[in-house]
Amino acid sequence: MLSDPSASQPGAGRPRQRSNVRLGQFLGSPKAMLGLTVVILFISSAVFAPVLAPYDPNALDIPSRLSGPTWAHWAGTDQLGRDTFSRLLFGGRVALKIAVIGVSVALSTGLILGMIAGYGPKWLDNLLLLAFDTVLAFPTIVLALATVALVGPSLELVLIIVIVSTVPGYARMARTATLALKNDEFILAERSLGASTPRILAHHVLPNVVGPLLILAAMDVPVVVTIEAGLSFLGLGVLPPTASWGTILNEGYLVINDAPFMVVAAGIPLVLTTLGFTFLGEALRDIFDPRMGRGRA
Amino acid sequence: MFFYLIKRIGLSVAVIGLVVLMSFALLHLIPGDPATIALGPRASAETIDRFTEKMHLDEPVWRQFLIFAGNVVTGDLGEDVFSNRPVTQIIGENIGFTLALGAAGLGWAILVGIPLGCLAALRPNSALDRATGILSVGTIAVPSFVIAIWSLLLFAVTLRWLPAIGAGEPGNLPDQLAHLILPAFALGLGWVGYLSRMVRASLLEVMNEDYIRAANAFGLRPGRVIFGYALRVAILPTITLIGLGFGGLISSTVFAEVIFARPGLGKLLYDMVSARNFPVVQGAVLVTTGLYITFVLLSDLIIAWLDPRVRDAL
Amino acid sequence: MNAPHLDIRGLTVDFTTPTGPVHALRDVSFAVPQNSVTGIVGESGSGKSTVLWSILGLLSANARVRRGEILFEGEDMLRKGTDALRAARGQDMSVVFQNPMASQIPVLTYATQMRDILYRKRDLSAADKRTLAVEMMERVGIPDPARRIDQYPHHFSGGMRQRAGIAMALLPRPRLLLADEPTTALDVTMEAQVIHLIRDLATELETTVLVVSHNLGLIAEMCDHVVVMYAGEVVEAGPVRELFHNARHPYTRALLDCDPARITRKTRHLPVIEGSLPDLSAPPKGCIFAARCPKATLHCEAEAPSAQVSGGRHSVRCHFPVTEKSVPDAPRILDAPHATPPDAGDIPLLEVPYLNVRFRTMGPIRARLNGVADPFVDAVLDVGLTVRRGETLGLVGESGSGKTTLGRAILNLTRASAGSVRFEGREVRNLPERAFKPLRRDMAMMFQDAIGSLSPRKTVRALIAEPFVIHGAQDRDLDREAERLADLVQLPRAFLGRYPHELSGGQARRVGVARALALNPKLIIADEPTAGLDVSVQGDILNLMAELQREKGLSYLLITHNLPVVRHVSDRLAIMYMGRIVETGEAEAIFNQPGHPYTEALVRGVPQPDPDQRRTAPPLRGEVPSLMNRPRGCDFAARCPFAKDECRQIKPSQSTRADGRVIACHFPLI
Repeated sequence: MLSDPSASQPGAGRPRQRSNVRLGQFLGSPKAMLGLTVVILFISSAVFAPVLAPYDPNALDIPSRLSGPTWAHWAGTDQLGRDTFSRLLFGGRVALKIAVIGVSVALSTGLILGMIAGYGPKWLDNLLLLAFDTVLAFPTIVLALATVALVGPSLELVLIIVIVSTVPGYARMARTATLALKNDEFILAERSLGASTPRILAHHVLPNVVGPLLILAAMDVPVVVTIEAGLSFLGLGVLPPTASWGTILNEGYLVINDAPFMVVAAGIPLVLTTLGFTFLGEALRDIFDPRMGRGRA
Repeated sequence: MFFYLIKRIGLSVAVIGLVVLMSFALLHLIPGDPATIALGPRASAETIDRFTEKMHLDEPVWRQFLIFAGNVVTGDLGEDVFSNRPVTQIIGENIGFTLALGAAGLGWAILVGIPLGCLAALRPNSALDRATGILSVGTIAVPSFVIAIWSLLLFAVTLRWLPAIGAGEPGNLPDQLAHLILPAFALGLGWVGYLSRMVRASLLEVMNEDYIRAANAFGLRPGRVIFGYALRVAILPTITLIGLGFGGLISSTVFAEVIFARPGLGKLLYDMVSARNFPVVQGAVLVTTGLYITFVLLSDLIIAWLDPRVRDAL
Repeated sequence: MNAPHLDIRGLTVDFTTPTGPVHALRDVSFAVPQNSVTGIVGESGSGKSTVLWSILGLLSANARVRRGEILFEGEDMLRKGTDALRAARGQDMSVVFQNPMASQIPVLTYATQMRDILYRKRDLSAADKRTLAVEMMERVGIPDPARRIDQYPHHFSGGMRQRAGIAMALLPRPRLLLADEPTTALDVTMEAQVIHLIRDLATELETTVLVVSHNLGLIAEMCDHVVVMYAGEVVEAGPVRELFHNARHPYTRALLDCDPARITRKTRHLPVIEGSLPDLSAPPKGCIFAARCPKATLHCEAEAPSAQVSGGRHSVRCHFPVTEKSVPDAPRILDAPHATPPDAGDIPLLEVPYLNVRFRTMGPIRARLNGVADPFVDAVLDVGLTVRRGETLGLVGESGSGKTTLGRAILNLTRASAGSVRFEGREVRNLPERAFKPLRRDMAMMFQDAIGSLSPRKTVRALIAEPFVIHGAQDRDLDREAERLADLVQLPRAFLGRYPHELSGGQARRVGVARALALNPKLIIADEPTAGLDVSVQGDILNLMAELQREKGLSYLLITHNLPVVRHVSDRLAIMYMGRIVETGEAEAIFNQPGHPYTEALVRGVPQPDPDQRRTAPPLRGEVPSLMNRPRGCDFAARCPFAKDECRQIKPSQSTRADGRVIACHFPLI
């Protein structure tokens, strides 16, 4: 026992078995597999859209406009005869871009602000909380409408709106987790050893706070994608002729009586993506949620 | 309770103050002449001059803010750029539709979602629980405006069961109700899933608490243990959630009102943004935000009323 | 003797876990005679609580009763339907819970909770039920019950909450009262009160009591019959005197030997039970205790003993029961003398001439609104103490006495409001962290929660090596250092790759010691180093600490509420009450003859693990007053049995005795 060679390697012994068990649980969960499949499909179709798309998304073909699904146009065509399937593939690129940039910036900003609020002095905490509450008080779409009213719609504005409206969520979560940790004895123990505040935050707070935030991030992807699609649907986000799931839905909505198939097709990728990420996030939470996983004795 | 009330209301007032400041700042943070920004490049010189005068844009910024804040406090949100009607009047004409829609959407979601969550929690891993689980993930994930469009397509365009657009004939209640069904359905569907899982999760957690074990050890009836004890505690986070979720509900009403061409604050906001009618936009933003803050405050007060620990804290 | 009130026969319970079934209870049989108090004693993992929940039919969902009978007044509870069982609960039998904080619903008043308990008494009106409830609250000693019954649990202090818990349990006049570790969440002086309350009320109401506890003192003080459990089996059962004076199972003997309160002569080396609990997913074929039993033979390992009855009702499950009389002070305990006697040199290692710590109780705005002129409490008030080189000072007090705050203030983890802290003659109070950091090499701290004080996502290796990283000793071979320290605290190196939640309490404690020792400190402040440890393991840690002190000449400031333990390992004691030190002096002298009435209450407040030393009344009445309204005179006057008018008017000053003892009392006992 004393000279067990495997035990001297980091991560050896029981912890690895544990994460293996978790990985097994994850791979064995139908929810997780379904989510993962959809997410991979979404990412790869967006990345390879130029290769995969059968048509130029902006190529007009007036004679075959507003067709239902055919062999030539799997998802039909719009009012200008553009191929909806190709446009949806390209629309995924916009959604992916917003999701990746929006979520990662919001996550890291929220994490840092939340840890500062939770660990810092009380006045700073109160100040930041007030700021979070104020931002949260503006309903996302209302905030977007108001800013668009002044500066006009653009992709950048959508990103800013997405980030501004989701940062408080991450920050509050990180703050709550940090506050709970702050009074834990192990933080005090680190201080008693002389660990500096940056060291405590980076080595001892961050690893315990980031997990739930990453799960929240996975579950936030649908929210972000929905905000983009919603704003674009209202004509406040990505502007036509650029293909976005929201603009395609809007074009379909305008011809809902003549070509009902279009709103069905345009909604499907949005629904699939949000479902996929939600499933993935749920599966991750089920398996890694600290409350359900490890209860400290 | 008194201190909690003071503190909680004080916080809301502070947030409202900041919101007023931000609504004001919106126009001034963007570089350029505020009047031109607000009215758009195509506005005539005459309109711009009138707007500048009405909004006191020739005054120093701090005075403008004081005038603006003073007006907001006295209930004056300015005038419509085109018709010169008071903004408060325009909002007053629309707010009722939005409140009715929000109440109907949230109302049916609460009536269905909370009992569903309870049933699922009482029989964990039963068929009902699994069905609720799948259903709730599905309804939460699908964006409300997609539900709105699809239900419009199915029930109004294809099946023609329900009217597609408008809020119904004024004074004709059955007609108005018929017009309310689809938007309220689209608005509430996601909430059914949201509420049922929230209730399920917190009820399951509370059922593991020592005091539930104690109640069982004293032989209380299962009904009393579940509804009088467990749900009494488990409902608290759900109430917070409903309060906080009100912001999302307002966002959803914008879509529902636009898609079903229904009058209301959301539709007004949307139309006025397109028309570049800035005072109305500003007023509508202030009112919706104020509504949200009021509802969060209300949910917190309900919690304080239900939970003596919150009441006595601080 | 009457027929047994409760008769458990062959009870066998499994728990389903992801890694297979755990055989938590195996063939548990014992009887509880009518109108008696029976105690189940055992360490953690003995299955004692599982027995309790089996009786109530409230085992967790993954438990399965495989065999056995639980005969309550002749009826088998295990064969009863859900409704019949529920009818018995809260009517025929009732429970007092371990943790009154968690077992009383926070959102309902006591009036509502108690009315609910009486819901079956349909012939009573709501007003009658309330009257009954108020009467019961009065009986358990809650002052002003008619008003306080309309309050919520969080309005009650810990002791009052447990009294209310007892009132709720006794309200339906059950014939059987179950008590699950009823005093574990309470302080020493409250513990004694609760023990007597349950015993007296049970006699008065003719209730049979079954109490579960790990606390030998409580069992000896309270019970008529005792059942000893180990790893899911009953190893010995019998009348309380038989069990404490004539224990026949080697485990019972060892358990009794380990209790520091039973060791009358001061010793630096406490006895322990070597080894650990067997894995209950695959219990051994032979005797369950064989692996840890000093007398085990091949026969013991091969074949499980059956219970043999000897001398009336005393039964023991052992092939070779101990026959010789037990002597309270077991001879194999050696008093290891101090290798390096504390030097009486002129500069003490740590000197605190006086120190104050104040905490704000409410914000300035609220204080103004409430008309509170001074919204602070004094958690530590004019405290002075000295720790010499190589010495152990035991700082003893109940929860809320300020002992932990004092320790943290010395280490600059909590801001002191006034006073002075001198380490090796140098003033260190409230130094900026940068200036204090080098001192952290010399002063280390061990925290109360052994597992919770370890950063949860770091390996033991990283945790032990961390002090070197923090203090810039990175040129060292950290792996070698970690292994050296693990060896030093006798932690097997295999544990270095583990995470804190994979450690037992004792192992985590060793990691804490290793971290404290890493930089060769001169002083270690240890906050409740035996908290959460079983009696058979706590000696291990204390012995290790004593050994390290001998080897390295360390000094300890040992913060604890556990008087019997601290007595054996301390040179001097300081007793704290409401933020002040009321008595200091040589440990033995204080223990033999307390000078302050509070010290005496503490010394006598510990229930003695000897049924012949039962007290007739708890040594102290009442509870610790709130720090927010400190009495005008002596802080202890309200509870002091010797208090006179002078005590209530004038704060006593400290006086030094001939033997060096310092006592803050107008009328000291010596």
